[in-house]
Parts: sequence; structure tokens; C-alpha cells
Amino acid sequence: MNAPFFKFGLFGDDVSLVVAFVIGIGFGFFLERAGFGSARKLAAQFYLGDLTVFKVMFTAIITAMIGLYYLSVIGLVDLSLVYISPTYIIPQTIGGLILGLGFVIGGYCPGTSCVAAATGRTDGIVFLLGVVAGIFVFGESFNLIKEFYSSSDLGQLTFPQLLGLPYGLLVFAVVLMALGGFAGAHWLEKKFGPKGIWSNS
Amino acid sequence: MTSQAKAVLLENFDTQVKEHTSVKTAKPYWNPYLAGLGLGLVLLSAFVIMGRGLGASGAFSSVLSTGIQAIAPDHAGSNEYYSEYLGDGTRHPLKDWLVFEVLGVFVGGFLSGALAHRVKRTVEKGPRITTAKRLAFAFGGGALMGFGAKLARGCTSGQALTGGALLNVGSWAFMMAVFAGAYALAYFVRRQWQ
Amino acid sequence: MEQLMKFSISNWSANQKLAAIVGILGFFALFAGDPYQGSTATIDTRELGVLVQKEVDHVSPVELAEWIIQGRSDFRLLDLRASEEYAAYHIPTAENVSLAGLSEYPVERNEKIILYSDGGIHSAQAWFFLKAEKYPGVYILSGGLEEWKDAVLFPSLAENAGPAERAAFEKMNEVSKFFGGTAQTGSSQEKISPQVAMPKLDMPSTTAAPGMAKKKKKEGC
Repeated sequence: MNAPFFKFGLFGDDVSLVVAFVIGIGFGFFLERAGFGSARKLAAQFYLGDLTVFKVMFTAIITAMIGLYYLSVIGLVDLSLVYISPTYIIPQTIGGLILGLGFVIGGYCPGTSCVAAATGRTDGIVFLLGVVAGIFVFGESFNLIKEFYSSSDLGQLTFPQLLGLPYGLLVFAVVLMALGGFAGAHWLEKKFGPKGIWSNS
Repeated sequence: MTSQAKAVLLENFDTQVKEHTSVKTAKPYWNPYLAGLGLGLVLLSAFVIMGRGLGASGAFSSVLSTGIQAIAPDHAGSNEYYSEYLGDGTRHPLKDWLVFEVLGVFVGGFLSGALAHRVKRTVEKGPRITTAKRLAFAFGGGALMGFGAKLARGCTSGQALTGGALLNVGSWAFMMAVFAGAYALAYFVRRQWQ
Repeated sequence: MEQLMKFSISNWSANQKLAAIVGILGFFALFAGDPYQGSTATIDTRELGVLVQKEVDHVSPVELAEWIIQGRSDFRLLDLRASEEYAAYHIPTAENVSLAGLSEYPVERNEKIILYSDGGIHSAQAWFFLKAEKYPGVYILSGGLEEWKDAVLFPSLAENAGPAERAAFEKMNEVSKFFGGTAQTGSSQEKISPQVAMPKLDMPSTTAAPGMAKKKKKEGC
């Protein structure tokens, strides 16, 4: 096996920046294809009328998950060399909650706001500036929250490790969950779409 | 009607006129599952080529830290968080994988939008709110997002998509929290969207 | 029949076909196996640290020489050097294994494993691998092949040695003869040059060991 190619030294840092750019183009392209350059479409997820965010995200997750799993099993990719960010369970959960609030208020996330800004959305540009401001606040207050930020460090933890279950079993479970979720999304959209719940209040 | 309602109505009328007289009509969005498949393959290629996943918020931190360093180098250097992104000086902080990736996101997003005639100067908002308010919310929401993303060490691209595909426990917890937070607040900001 | 035809695949929407493919791939994941190709091991570093401190991880060349002379077969001696070096000379009864092939080499867990290389580095690394895989009886030949040469093959006696040392030397003289070496006595105390001819091997060959290794028992029912 000689993948991940970068980790096996097939190319250096400078080429990796070009790779980053190209991958980024693909990333931005498909985000826009899905309609994520529009805050309205993104926010509609949270009113149950248009669950595109869920469908796209989870399709992407299971595609990459299945692809990586099978490539590793065949031996084309060394899974242990793929970087897994360490789990800091409490700050990640709290951060996620805050991010969720920001998502429904602002209507974008950092990646999609770039797509929105690139397609002319003024609110996308403003959102981007807001993100920078938020990071600034974080950086300035870092000394105060440093300890919380580094708390509950569980290290690199995957579900197979946590539950002691075979990797393949969890792949299957996630696929089932996603397919079930898609069916549920289909039903919710039929029921509440396209304007979503509370649309008349 | 109230003057505020009048203002909103006039603005909406204005927008609708603009939209109907645009040169080409926007193409419909792709089937979300196909778009998700494409996204997943991009993510997979990052795994296979680089041994890492995607991201976005890290690039913003790099840019911010570099900016602060340019304006107030001592402050940047003495701040533990910014220094992390500035590195030890052997490499320019903007020569960062995520920075280049995010530049690509701009390009890719524009490309797709241009091909589908979806590029236009506009403000995305619901019918019941003014542009000014929407922009204020966009800024505020962005700020919350920026703060939350740093606290969680990632945003939806880095943590949810990447970590999700890798069965990373913290990332799934993060993902659930994002949906929980957003759904919890959705009712209270509905006027912005509906 | 027509009712059933409604459910045929040709009537499925694109999304349903996608979902079916994904579902099948997910299902096969149940049987496809472990994606981590390399072998992983968990290490109790405290336990290993204690072992090293107590120095129960070493075997001296003199001890090893005695075991070989006694014809003991309760241990496996592994030579971690390259195959050319092994062919030129190896300690009798030693088997040639590389560090990379170590994790797959058939060794029973109830056997004593003694590791040696030229000095101590590769044998120490191999010791670590095997301890991480929870082999209980793993030992390093202290001093490696160099020490084997000095203490067993070409034992030397200092000019001003006392009676205890002389007695020990007499014994080693016999031992070294057994292995085809020659003892070095006092007057010719030049440093043993590295070009000293290594004794030709006419010890029992190591063919017995691989034969034993082949009958790897499966534990459990």
C-alpha cells in the first residue's frame, strides 16, 4: 500500500498546497451544486421543509466512509496514517451548540459562506467577517478559557475503539442510520415542505 | 400599515423586479444525493491523497493571526492561540493547507455558480425582514460560529464531514450538538427566514 | 404478476437505486474485515519499565553457552541480523529472523525467546515488539554477538588475574573449544582484531527448529 500518498512521501509540502487548492475547488463546486450558497436553503433545514443539508452531509459522510473502509480493507490505503483529530468531548459539544446557534442565526457555516461570498451574496461576505470577529474574540479571551478548551481530552477515539465493535459493523450501522434518515427526511419534507413548520405564525 | 412593514414590502418588490429581469434564469440545484456523492468523493480523495480531511475555520484563524501579526506583532506573538497559527517562523503562516483549500472553495463555488447562472449580488433572506437586520444577524451568527468553531476545534466541514466519515467520537458528538443547537433556536429566529 | 412487476428494479427511481447500492456496500462491510492492515499492540509501559529495571530481561553469553552445551531445547534463539551475516557466522541453534518479519514468525508463547544482534540495538527493539505482543519470556543476549565473541569464543585472561578468575577462565577455555573458538592468554594481549576468523560451524544445524515451528497449535476449540 502506498496511500495516503503524501504520508508516504510521494510529494512535498509545496505540491500539497496545490493539491489543497484543487481539492478546495471540488469542495466549493459541490457545495454550490447542492445549493449551499444560499442561506435560505441552508436555514430551511431547521424548519423541516427542505432537508437538503442533512441529505448532502450524510451522503458525503457515508460515501467517504465506505470508500475509505473498502480501500483500507483491500490494502490500498493505510488507515492508521489518516489523521483523526483528538476528542475533547466537553468543549466540542459546547462548541457545537454555539455553532448551531450561529448556523441558524447567520444561515451559513464557514465553508458555505465562502461559496456564498463567491456567488455574490452580500450576507455571505458579512457572515465571513463575523466569523473572523468571532475567532478574534476567542483568541483574545483564550487565556480565560484555555483550561476549558483543553479539558476532557480522550485522545484519538473512534467508535470501533469506544464500543469495542468491529469497524465494518459500525460502517453498516451508520449506513442503515443514514438510509433511515433519508426516508425520514422524505416524509418530513412531504409533510412540512416547502415552507417548513411555523410558517404561518 | 406600519412604516416598517412598508419598507419590507418595497424592498421585496424591488428584489423581485431585479430577479425577474435578470438575463438568464438560474438552473435548479442538483439532486442532493448526487451533490453529496460528489462531496464525499472529494473528501475521500483528500483522505487518500493527503491522509487528512477537509476544513475551513482553520484557514480563517491563519488569516486572522497573520493580520494581527502585521498590525501588532508583539500582541500576536504573546498570544498563545495566535502563535499556534503563526508557527515558529520557518514557514509563512499563509502557506497553510487549509488556506489554499479555502481559496479553492471560493473558486469552485464561483465556478459552479457561474455555470448555473446563480451568481448575483443579492442578500439571502426571508420575506419578513429587512436587509439591514439580515446583515446584522449574518454578522452576529458568523461571530457565534467563529467562536464555537474554535472551541470545538473545527466546523461542519472539518469536524462533521471529516470526523463523521472517520467515525470519530468527538466529531459525531459535535455534529449532534450543532443540530441540537440550531433546531432549539430555530423557532425564535423564524422571522428571518420565513 | 403485474402487481409484482411494479416492484421490479427498472421502476426504481435513481435515488432508490443509489440507496440500494449503498445498502449493499454497507451490508458487505459486516464481513469485509478489519481495515487496519498493520498489527497494533497495546503496551503497559509501567510493567515494561519495571521489567527493565529489575534486569530480568537479559541473558549473558556465558549462560547461553551453558544452555547450548547442555543441549537444552526450551528456548528459541533468534538472530536479528541480515541473512549474509547469519550465513557467515551465527551462534549455534540460532534462527535468522528480520525485525519486519518478527510479528509473523511462528513462536509459541510458552517458549523462552532469546534475541541477539551485533550489539544491543536491534535485539532491544525486537524485545520491545515481542513484549508489546505480550510474549512472557523474552530476553536479550546482553552485549550481543560482540560479547559472545569476547566472553565465549575468545575468552581472555588478564595477566594479574586472581585464582577465582583463573578458575573461571579454565572453564571458559573448555566452553570456547566446544564452540570452535580459542582462548586468549595473557601475553598476547593485543586487542582482538575484528578479522579474527570466526569458527566454522559444525554444531547441530538448526533444521530441527523450523520443523517444530511448523506444528503451530490452534488454541481453543
